[in-house]
Amino acid sequence: MSVIEAGYFDGRSSVKRPVGIVVSRGRMKIIGRDLEQEFDARLVRRSLRIANTPRWLYLPGGGACVTSDNAAVDRITRERRYERVLHKWESRPAYAALAVALVVGMLWLLVDRGVPVAVERIAEHIPVEAEAALGRETLRALDERMMRKSTLPGSRQDSLRAKFADMARAAGETTPYSLEFRQSFIGANAFALPSGIIVVTDDLVRLSRSDDEVLGVLAHELGHVKHRHTMRRLLEGSATALIIAGVTGDVASTTSLAAAAPTQREALALAAAGETREPSRGEGKRIDFTGLWKEDCEQLYGLQFKPLEKQGVYSVSLCGPAGCLDPGTYRPNTTVQGDPTYDVLYAEEILIKQPRGDSTSYVKCASEVMPEVPDR
Amino acid sequence: MTSPTAALQADERLVHPEFTGTAAEYFRIWIVNLFFTLATLGIYSAWAKVRKRRYFYGSTRLDGDSFDYFASPKAILNGRIIALAVFAIYALAGELYPQSRYAFWAVAALAFPWLVVRALAFNSRNSAYRGLRFDFQATTKQAARVYIGMLAVVALTAGLAFPWFMARQKAFVVSQHAFGTSRFECELPARRFYGIYIRATLLFLAFAIPGVALTGYLTFKQYDGSISLPQAFAWLAWLLPVLPVYIGYAVSYAYVQARSTNLLWSKVRGGGLRFASTLSARKLMKLYFGNVIAIACSAGLLIPWAVIRTLRYRLANFSMIVAGSPVHHMNPSLAPVGASSQELGDFFNVDVGV
Repeated sequence: MSVIEAGYFDGRSSVKRPVGIVVSRGRMKIIGRDLEQEFDARLVRRSLRIANTPRWLYLPGGGACVTSDNAAVDRITRERRYERVLHKWESRPAYAALAVALVVGMLWLLVDRGVPVAVERIAEHIPVEAEAALGRETLRALDERMMRKSTLPGSRQDSLRAKFADMARAAGETTPYSLEFRQSFIGANAFALPSGIIVVTDDLVRLSRSDDEVLGVLAHELGHVKHRHTMRRLLEGSATALIIAGVTGDVASTTSLAAAAPTQREALALAAAGETREPSRGEGKRIDFTGLWKEDCEQLYGLQFKPLEKQGVYSVSLCGPAGCLDPGTYRPNTTVQGDPTYDVLYAEEILIKQPRGDSTSYVKCASEVMPEVPDR
Repeated sequence: MTSPTAALQADERLVHPEFTGTAAEYFRIWIVNLFFTLATLGIYSAWAKVRKRRYFYGSTRLDGDSFDYFASPKAILNGRIIALAVFAIYALAGELYPQSRYAFWAVAALAFPWLVVRALAFNSRNSAYRGLRFDFQATTKQAARVYIGMLAVVALTAGLAFPWFMARQKAFVVSQHAFGTSRFECELPARRFYGIYIRATLLFLAFAIPGVALTGYLTFKQYDGSISLPQAFAWLAWLLPVLPVYIGYAVSYAYVQARSTNLLWSKVRGGGLRFASTLSARKLMKLYFGNVIAIACSAGLLIPWAVIRTLRYRLANFSMIVAGSPVHHMNPSLAPVGASSQELGDFFNVDVGV
């Protein structure tokens, strides 16, 4: 029977007394000068074992003993299994290495696999009214900041709506949607919002040679609606931000850095208006920009740079398969090089800053100048 | 700054805390916490918090004795579940009915003093030293006076009253704490806080203005075409303008931290104890920058190392001045030490990170 050396506090004052602890047949004896107490060992609570920090034994009646002899404390008090497991994990380097590997693996699994699955489930359970309200709110926010009422004649809108409805019906598509026409500086574009709102810009309609081209774009957007892509992207962004915030919890206090997550509305605006690209720098020599530029040459819509009389100055207009809008509808005159809106990467690739601050890269797809479309 | 020992009275002795924690030990605890937290989808985070805090408390010895932390992880988990639920409702409702955000913020502002009191009381009552619990004794009304009344003054003066608010708020938090029945006193002169914040602002501007001017000039030159960065270094053009602002912020943050902590502890007394803190703004700043670089370069694996070395530096510059051999007594209104908060029978003993 061994004696454990400890310090004793009576719980009423901060005076410490040296004592010895002896445990036999389920009884714990605390013995010191002018002090002898005996307890049922099962009623003694102990503090957690964390590394080799001193252990506390809280005695019935409010007293407490403290000792550095962790092994003895584990011997004399009942140890639960999970405590032993946790201590093993926390004290052996091999387990720490295993934990690093598992954490990396799980983070990857969580973000790459878990989040999409969870998002799928959550998206399924989001009430229709909630998604409708979200779509309505987003459309309202976009209307305030980026879009105006369509300038297309009502008859043209109605005919496109009817044709699209016919096409969807013919394809056996039953996904509910609503088609909205808007005028916007984002150019020829179409995008899907939660709850099946598909927004088409006037420029896209104007710059198309035929209605079939417009319908092709709309069919693609209906695909996004069907699979609730916008809703999913929104949820994925939030979930990933939550995981990052959770994992990096105590970094802020040691680095003076505060973690920042993008707000949902920003994420939506980004989702709606395409990708962001990193801007870059150009060369010093003069380049001829004349011709048609597109985000990629497979696309139907782009920007035309048409030289003006003064050398090195261009007008920029929006173009589609049918031709271009009047010169300068996008920007009346610019030198491109030296204009902060443009970033020249190569003679054939430029970045154009969008009004929101991010940039889109354009490549040169043709050097000829296309004719303007007659106003329909 | 004068050394705290210079003013030592005849019957006083200086006690330095001893910190036995190591980066290797804490790394193991941290990574295991992280693993179980991820594996249990966040539920273990409450247990992780207790183990982490228990490690720091147990590794800190003051005058020969360490601290103990015995909060119930279940109480912390309850608090976190409630917080998460409230946040989820806020996020969803705010998305559906944007006007509801204002109502939420109003309720949050009203509930904040109550939350501060609950959180500080929860943490202090679950902390003990030499077998006696700490306590936080402020009432919600007193907290409301500080966090609603005084913050309103800050808003009305367009922020000019902020240093005054910080002085009052810090003094409030410290002076409402007690060790057993020994209350702490803390009187902070707002004038000194104004000095700290004015110098911090100047420090920020001293770093940020030349930096922003220089990068502005370089950006201009770039569009001008007179200089151009090679493609591979194009990202520099985006990083450069942000850097001086961040450096200025970090420097002034470290300065405020060091100076206000030093000032705060020099004004705290109670139960035969005085305190001194000798943090150097310069060293703290170097520590922060080192931490940022180390954490970024190690993909986060050096976070425990950064935490430990920051704590060690802070404790190495902290000292307690003990007059004679004071004896502190148990507060009879609190449960005996070691009993977990759930047994206090207070349902609202939830922990919230304030």
